[in-house]
Amino acid sequence: MISVQHLHFGYRKKPVFNDLSLELQPGFIYGLLGKNGTGKSTLLRNIAGLLFPREGQIRVLGLDPGNRTPAFLQEVFMVPEEFHMPDVPLEHLEKHYAPFYPRFNREQFRKYISEFNIPIEGSLQNMSYGQKKKVLISLGLATNTSVLLMDEPTNGLDIMSKSQFRKVMAGALNENKCVIISTHQVKDLENLIDRITIIDEGKILFDQTIDNISRKLSFQISYDAEEINAAIYHESSLRGSAIICANTEGEEGKIDLELLYKAIVTNQAKVQSVFNA
Amino acid sequence: MNQVFDFKRFTLLVAKHWNENRKKYLLGLVAMAGLLFFWYGFMLIVDGGQRIFENMQVMTYFFGLALTGCFYGSILFAELSSGPKAMNYLIFPASHLEKLVCGLLYGVVLFFIAYTLVFYIVDIPMVMLGNSLHKSNYPGEVVSKPAEIVNIFWKPLTEGRPGPNPNPHVLFILMYFAVQSAYILGSVYFPKFSFIKTTISLLLVALLLSLYMGKILQPMLPDGGHYQSFTSFRVFENNDFNHQKIVSLPEWTTDTIAFLLKFAFAPIFWVVTYFRFKEKEV
Repeated sequence: MISVQHLHFGYRKKPVFNDLSLELQPGFIYGLLGKNGTGKSTLLRNIAGLLFPREGQIRVLGLDPGNRTPAFLQEVFMVPEEFHMPDVPLEHLEKHYAPFYPRFNREQFRKYISEFNIPIEGSLQNMSYGQKKKVLISLGLATNTSVLLMDEPTNGLDIMSKSQFRKVMAGALNENKCVIISTHQVKDLENLIDRITIIDEGKILFDQTIDNISRKLSFQISYDAEEINAAIYHESSLRGSAIICANTEGEEGKIDLELLYKAIVTNQAKVQSVFNA
Repeated sequence: MNQVFDFKRFTLLVAKHWNENRKKYLLGLVAMAGLLFFWYGFMLIVDGGQRIFENMQVMTYFFGLALTGCFYGSILFAELSSGPKAMNYLIFPASHLEKLVCGLLYGVVLFFIAYTLVFYIVDIPMVMLGNSLHKSNYPGEVVSKPAEIVNIFWKPLTEGRPGPNPNPHVLFILMYFAVQSAYILGSVYFPKFSFIKTTISLLLVALLLSLYMGKILQPMLPDGGHYQSFTSFRVFENNDFNHQKIVSLPEWTTDTIAFLLKFAFAPIFWVVTYFRFKEKEV
């Protein structure tokens, strides 16, 4: 569905991607993780056709995003970190956006709006940043585009809204849709994403499905010094040490995304060796 | 569906644009009307109740049109100046051409019609007020003729006599469209302070052109000067003003240059705007 081949991209004096390749399939929610300034948003903008590759190519549903044709744009919706929404009533927003997206579903839009506790009679003019973001997320989901790109979607959402977001997102995926969520708030994506892709210094540092991670790694709290020392990664906490070790017993447990992220960023080779074995 | 221009999608885009901007546009029209009222009111007070003659109405119309039209042109694609707005604008499912034509429809065509309507809505009562004030201020002046409402679109330069350019008002309007199109291009080129930067750019172009004409072209030409048009040159032989000859290029060159100046600049700038718009990144 999304094919990134040998992508080279950089801003004037700062190279961001150097020969990045990536394949993304429909039916999955991809979590794009990485430190600030590693190119998560830049990758999303390249996929959306807002930035053009300097070298290499990107294809989304077989189309070149850089052409920004209506056929492409009606299949891609982006929720940017910083966004703009017109100051219009929600009913007008729905009325004027719906005809541009062939699979726009008004019932779905109203359902998501209602799940986010926003009155449909309201106007964007009187809404807070968080409320506007929830409207944008609802709009993005209701368009039913094949590709949904979300850049830090939980920024600006309160605690309740974050759990509403996870609930709404979990119910919105289907086999024809590819969702890419870029964030550095990994906790917000727990139990939501199907695949983790970590970018660092313009390269893919780690790219595995959640199922594979559960099969290969085990996340535990340990008090055993020997076990802690033998772990792939360990971190002291008030309740002992949080550790990641190779899953030798075959039981699939819960993944601590934050711990995994830290392990990969600090010692990628050690984590990767488990997956290569 | 056509990926370059689809009429149905275009009409939907026009409706969406109106829905999102109507408050701004209506307030803008009210502000324009207010400024025109203020200006005419100021003239009536300063002139002590004199009539508002045609030349003053023409001047007011074109000065207001040039100022507000070019300013509006310079913010026509202001969405592209801010990251979030630009993203929202560029990723919206309509083609570049549809977005450009929608912008031109509002910024060029509808603005021109709306400005002209607002002008007459203010002009007619104010000219009539000026006439009645004059009549009441000078009751004994039997020969005074009331000021007439000017026809912006049809006013010969030399009344009753055919001149080289029988309708200068239309020429002004065409010139206005050409200059405004430069400001529209500026709105895509310069993300910030577009009006000021475009004005400076146009002044620089004019300055470079003047330097080229005066410092490079003029020394290469014999004594004399342009005569009636750019394509005719009057040469004084041996600095004798009584012996002169006129060198003219074929008439089609004059016609071509005149056509370019009148009709081609605006579309050329719009086309450049289109390509600039297509390659916009955010």
